[in-house]
Amino acid sequence: MFDLESQIRKWKTHLLSAGSLGHSDIEELESHLRDSIDELTEREITQEEAFLIAVRRLGDVSVIQDEFAKLSTEDLWRQLLVPADNPLAVRRNRIELIIVIGLTLSAGLLSKIPALFGFGDIETYNLLYMKNGGLFAFAPAAIYFIWKRSLPLLRSFIVLSIFPLSAFLINLYPSYEPHHTEFLTALHMPIALIFLLLYFYGGPAVRNSKSDQLNGQAGKNRTGWQNTNTRLNFVRFAGETFIYAVLIGLGGLVLTLIGAGTFELIGIDVFPFISAWVAPFGFFGLFTAAAYLVGQKKNLIESIAPVLARIFTPLFLLILLSLITAYIIHPKQAYENRDMLIWFDLILAFVLGLSLYSMSAKDYTHSTTSEQFVENGSYVDILHKPHMLWDALTLALILSAVIVDGIALSGIISRLSAYGFSPNKTAALGENIILLTNLILLITGYVRYFQAKQSFQKIVEVQMRFLPVYAVWAACVVIVFPPLFNFK
Amino acid sequence: MTLPKDLVAASATPIILAILQKEDTYGYAIIRKVQEISDNQIAWTDGMLYPVLHRLESAGFIDSYWRKAENGRRRKYYHITASGEEECGRLISQWSVVEKALQILLEETHT
Repeated sequence: MFDLESQIRKWKTHLLSAGSLGHSDIEELESHLRDSIDELTEREITQEEAFLIAVRRLGDVSVIQDEFAKLSTEDLWRQLLVPADNPLAVRRNRIELIIVIGLTLSAGLLSKIPALFGFGDIETYNLLYMKNGGLFAFAPAAIYFIWKRSLPLLRSFIVLSIFPLSAFLINLYPSYEPHHTEFLTALHMPIALIFLLLYFYGGPAVRNSKSDQLNGQAGKNRTGWQNTNTRLNFVRFAGETFIYAVLIGLGGLVLTLIGAGTFELIGIDVFPFISAWVAPFGFFGLFTAAAYLVGQKKNLIESIAPVLARIFTPLFLLILLSLITAYIIHPKQAYENRDMLIWFDLILAFVLGLSLYSMSAKDYTHSTTSEQFVENGSYVDILHKPHMLWDALTLALILSAVIVDGIALSGIISRLSAYGFSPNKTAALGENIILLTNLILLITGYVRYFQAKQSFQKIVEVQMRFLPVYAVWAACVVIVFPPLFNFK
Repeated sequence: MTLPKDLVAASATPIILAILQKEDTYGYAIIRKVQEISDNQIAWTDGMLYPVLHRLESAGFIDSYWRKAENGRRRKYYHITASGEEECGRLISQWSVVEKALQILLEETHT
């Protein structure tokens, strides 16, 4: 007995396997297939035959997958990976693996540069390693993208030179007790560098003069790293790299500890070797390796990460709500304990990261494209169909983040008026103001989205345009703050 | 007589845009319409239509929305944008240049 539904399911799984088609693409093809089958069965053809004819008419699955893969340059890597029997692809895969291993090791080697100048001991000079850590970890990842995406070499190397230049700058700046500006550099350097990585992830913006003329809207078609979708993909990529890095890092840690414990049993102390070589090579190389894995095993992480986002959104909401409750019970603590403010900021940064990430993981072709219904013979446009519970939860998270941010801001301002401007407080003030602006933008976006006045895509666009503000502020803290506060 | 591949590829965009200019419609209906107006002589592989549609969408010539049909099936409808109409006009005038040239040559050989 022929079971149409199970056959269609099998066909869908087959389509999905290459990974170049999204769920909405497949739904579209499925509805085409069913239309086709319906029409054929009307002509007194059996369901089984109709299914076969309809599938055949749709064409060769692998060709369709290839065509879809070509659609966005974002997905170019899939074409390079999927046909493993293609000798050219196999060769490129092998070269890629060699390059990734080389770059991973070079990250470790970079981290040994301070040792050449007599700053070899990580524990003694931990601040030095902290502020340069971003450079060690991200420079190889940037080189990997230059190769992977075949970026224009001259321009890439000009941008790449920011890495050594900023290394010179932050290490030539003096640092005096109590080293607050140096500590701020260590905190902000990675933030600025992540945005630098976005340039290599998306590639330079190309002004496509032809399509600009056609559309008559010059500058509207942002390409390369300026493109909204590229930035969204980068956010997702960063989140997934983070998850991968944490997983691999934990595994590495366990392995190292077991190994070291065994050596200790036979009377060999390997800890000096581990802290000098294994730990830095493992840690700084982690990011390039994770970036490579995110690209290679995209489907795998794509199914884990949204689940993680969904688990943690309500949990973060709970934490924020309990923070607010704690503040209501002990309002003075927030102002008197400076550590509390730092923890507030840390949690807020995570909340923002989480909401950015769940934004990028959202399959908004399903929930936001308008759906029309026939009413009185005319089509009524209903602009959206939000995934109510989920979007409400995200909005609640953002709203409580605004309250927490407000508490943090009032805390900073009261400390500022009591003790004057210090580097830490000024940096925190700037960050909280930026964060508050960002959160308010998000809330207005969500409210308009709930009122069906705008699509979700618009929120994403505004948010992605806002991202560079963080990079500019982080760079500002790294470059301007030390001289401003006399390098203290 | 079926058209060669190159000609099919070149004519796909103006044909799709012209169909959408008349009304919003979905992939399967576009295929049927093309078969109907060309007497089955323009034969597209059904599945290849969708990448083309997506490409037109990302170029901003068309946009799309989901809609439920009476039988409960969700279909993705495509709608032509202002710049798509512009593009359509441009492509069709290009085609008519070729057509006119061929027409003149044809008349010249007959006279």
